[in-house]
Amino acid sequence: MTTATAQPTTKLWSGGKSPFNVSYGKLMMWYFLMSDAFTFGAFLISYGTIRFSQNVWADPNHVFNAFPFMGHANLPLAFVSLMTFILIFSSVTMVLAVHEGHKMNRKGVEKWLVWTILGGLAFLGCQAWEWTHLITGEHEVLVNGAIQSWGTTVTHNPWGPEVLFNGKEVATPGPIAFGGYFFGITGFHGFHVFSGVVINIIMLIQTRMKVFENRGHYEMIEKAGLYWHFVDLVWVFVFLCFYLV
Amino acid sequence: MSNEAILHEHQTGAHDAGHAHEHHHHETFITKYVFSQDHKMIAKQFLITGIIWAIIGGLFSVLFRLQLGYPESTFPWLEDFLGNWAKGGKLDPDFYYALVTMHGTILVFFVLTAGLSGTFSNFLIPLQVGARDMASPFLNMLSYWFFFAASIVMMASLFVQTGPASGGWTIYPPLSALGEASSGSKIGMDLWLISMSLFIINALLGGLNYITTVLNMRTKGMSMTRMPLTMWAFFFTAVLGVLSFPVLLSGCILLLFDRNLGTSFYLSDIVINGKILPNEGGSAILFQHLFWFLGHPEVYIIILPAMGIASEVMSVNSRKPIFGYMAMVGSLFAIAALSFLVWAHHMFVTGLNPFLGSFFVLLTLLIAVPSAIKVFNWLTTLWRGNIRFTPGMLFAIGFVSMFISGGLTGIFLGNSALDIHLHDTYFIVAHFHIVMGVAGMFGMFAGLYHWYPKMYGRYMNNTLAYIHFWVTLIGSYLIFWPMHYEGLAGMPRRYYEFSGWESFNMFGGLNQFISFVSIIVFAAQLLFVFNFFYSIFKGRKVTELNPWGAASLEWSTPIRPGHGNWPGEIPEVHRWAYDYGKDGRDFIPQTEPVGEDESKH
Amino acid sequence: MSQGATAEAGHHDDGTQIKRIWKTFWILSVITIIELGIGLSIYTIHKGDNPNELLVLMFKGLVCILTLAKAFYIVSVFMHLGDEIRNMIMTIIVPLLLFVWFIVAFLWDGNAWKNLKNTDAGSREYKEQPQQKLPAKEKGHKD
Repeated sequence: MTTATAQPTTKLWSGGKSPFNVSYGKLMMWYFLMSDAFTFGAFLISYGTIRFSQNVWADPNHVFNAFPFMGHANLPLAFVSLMTFILIFSSVTMVLAVHEGHKMNRKGVEKWLVWTILGGLAFLGCQAWEWTHLITGEHEVLVNGAIQSWGTTVTHNPWGPEVLFNGKEVATPGPIAFGGYFFGITGFHGFHVFSGVVINIIMLIQTRMKVFENRGHYEMIEKAGLYWHFVDLVWVFVFLCFYLV
Repeated sequence: MSNEAILHEHQTGAHDAGHAHEHHHHETFITKYVFSQDHKMIAKQFLITGIIWAIIGGLFSVLFRLQLGYPESTFPWLEDFLGNWAKGGKLDPDFYYALVTMHGTILVFFVLTAGLSGTFSNFLIPLQVGARDMASPFLNMLSYWFFFAASIVMMASLFVQTGPASGGWTIYPPLSALGEASSGSKIGMDLWLISMSLFIINALLGGLNYITTVLNMRTKGMSMTRMPLTMWAFFFTAVLGVLSFPVLLSGCILLLFDRNLGTSFYLSDIVINGKILPNEGGSAILFQHLFWFLGHPEVYIIILPAMGIASEVMSVNSRKPIFGYMAMVGSLFAIAALSFLVWAHHMFVTGLNPFLGSFFVLLTLLIAVPSAIKVFNWLTTLWRGNIRFTPGMLFAIGFVSMFISGGLTGIFLGNSALDIHLHDTYFIVAHFHIVMGVAGMFGMFAGLYHWYPKMYGRYMNNTLAYIHFWVTLIGSYLIFWPMHYEGLAGMPRRYYEFSGWESFNMFGGLNQFISFVSIIVFAAQLLFVFNFFYSIFKGRKVTELNPWGAASLEWSTPIRPGHGNWPGEIPEVHRWAYDYGKDGRDFIPQTEPVGEDESKH
Repeated sequence: MSQGATAEAGHHDDGTQIKRIWKTFWILSVITIIELGIGLSIYTIHKGDNPNELLVLMFKGLVCILTLAKAFYIVSVFMHLGDEIRNMIMTIIVPLLLFVWFIVAFLWDGNAWKNLKNTDAGSREYKEQPQQKLPAKEKGHKD
């Protein structure tokens, strides 16, 4: 059995073997992720386009300034930082699981997979809290000359420019599209996290059942890992587009 | 690292498929014909589903051509078929729009995408690169069944009470986003979006398979530049699909939200029936951007496979190597890359920033360069060739004719200044029907006539095929050529009738003529369908391995290849696929080693 | 068989691999903290009486670049793309270049819509209105 890597690169393309020295499954995963990147890209670019077409937009530092159990303390970006670190951390545990897979260490794979799944669940929990907070949170908005109390939903946006009303500053309605894009895109990302957790649970069960050990390699873990890192990657851009800029 | 083990395992998997063929074990009716994982059977499933859709989509065009050609007449038999949609034998205006919308949707997506690249990518890729099957036969099967599910949903939408989607195949909001706007924007529109989402999954699964198969599963010696041009064309088609369809998916998801969840992605400042809608902040033009970011690559998803098929069929039947192989590959790549950069040329009149528009004009006109390279290479392939006018060859030449005629009008339309006059007139209808619709169909027919012997082990009837070709070629020009004049005169597309405009009355006779010819052409297609199904069972049997004397690999399989394609080892490849008329020999198959004193091509 | 293959290929750099993973983790964390710092400075600049828009724009550009750096580390180290053959890297990177025109054209047109709205499609000149502290009746018709 000759190793493909030992051959000169020009031979790789002459047929009879993979030109990239990877299995078709991993290649498919990569190209699927590229396709998915265009799905997310289209969402984020649509969001940017609409934002560019508006004179005013919601300031993320005002919208996302809450933290669980901290009441009304003004903590801009604190909670989303926590979410970001959770996701980065679960990415590390995933890559460690893949690494243990290379070493054919079943126990190691299991250990790190469990941590990854926990990280994913923690992230989903955070997102659930944030959504609930935004939807149920009450904000005073000046509508038609009267004060109303609004949450942030796909039909209401209480984060418009502030005006002076009866001697105090009150927000006016902001562009409704903000809520739709925020919930739409973070929701779509959350859906990916959720499916990633499900995939990882399936991987964990299969690892425990020694499916990969008997197969002789842990490539499935690698593919699941690619998907999981992609979810992290998308979050990096969601974080940028919704929270930072 | 266990990379090597993984790669090795895959090879053994491929060998297993070969053994399965030799022993013919455990194949039931269900696994062989329904949930088949054999790429050849899946190709036939795509093909036959596509043919059924083509008949439906074609019939719809005949129905609305009746209204356009004979606006004063009534056809009582229409009421028998369509009931309320054609009261008193005259098409209801709402239903007219539904027919136009469904005609576009069906032909563009279900016939010329799934039916064309679904059929031929599946059938030819493993055979021509020398593989037992697709990289993942299971995902390949799944791909067809997603297409089937999409078909069922779309078919169901034809039967709902408020009718199918009727906002045009481009389903622009706000018309498509608001149920109150038209009857076709009610449940029919939701079904359209769901069906299209399923269709996108089908395109994704299929495309991933095609790409990885071409990259990873080529037989020994089959380097990328030894592949037939069909392979390159299908490869780039798959790349286009994988990168552009997800953008349509995003657009569809946002539209579904706007329709059902009250979001404002595409909606702003809308008054409907005197009521001000609360939606604010979105932009309807955004949907057009998203749609055409897919929509433009989509027209190349349709035409690239046809180009690949035409190249292969023309080279085989001219008994000459394809002229400028690398230029052909390069221009395919150039077209594929440019197709992503030009989408807004569909939107010059939406209020697009004219300065931004000028970039789109430039990029659009650049496509003329690779297209011209391809046309000249086809013509020089024919030049002084020893041409055999088989039905497949005729359709391939017809494809080139159509591509030239339709491509030239594309240069008109690519200029934003001219497009302002020509936009949404019959000129554009004529342009895209010739260059994409008819040319795409011609590519498909060329492929079908050419590879039918490989698919079914029988020939199609030649006499019927020749009638089919000449009626279709002449008929298509008679239908679409006059539309250019109507369009230049300003006659708008998608109108139910033109009696309100004095200036378009002079086209009454011409419209009648177009409708008359389109009925004849439709009848000729039914002749093809008859020929196709009749020949599956009663056609003349193929008795030789390589009836066309072609050099490519698929003709080295048995006449009726089983699952696994080659009974023994997969043959090794030693040369490119176009060694015709070389060193005094008619052709040299790819499997033959290069001789000592052989001349270079 | 694969046991042997793994032992041979995987062991010699076991420690360095893990070290590399953790190093990447720290790089990502530090970049994220820098990003947060910038986000907070934008926040304080906006709170000020006279926000310096150019500075905000520069900060935003900087965050975008830092995000791309994060993406690079995730894809290259965590997803092991950096360890693949160069041709495969190119098949992933080159199609992503399409995003450049995708983003530029979309945002450009979005910006053009704003100008169209602000000037009634160019029929009048746009006067910058103070966006903070508007009189109360502005935007009052919205429900």
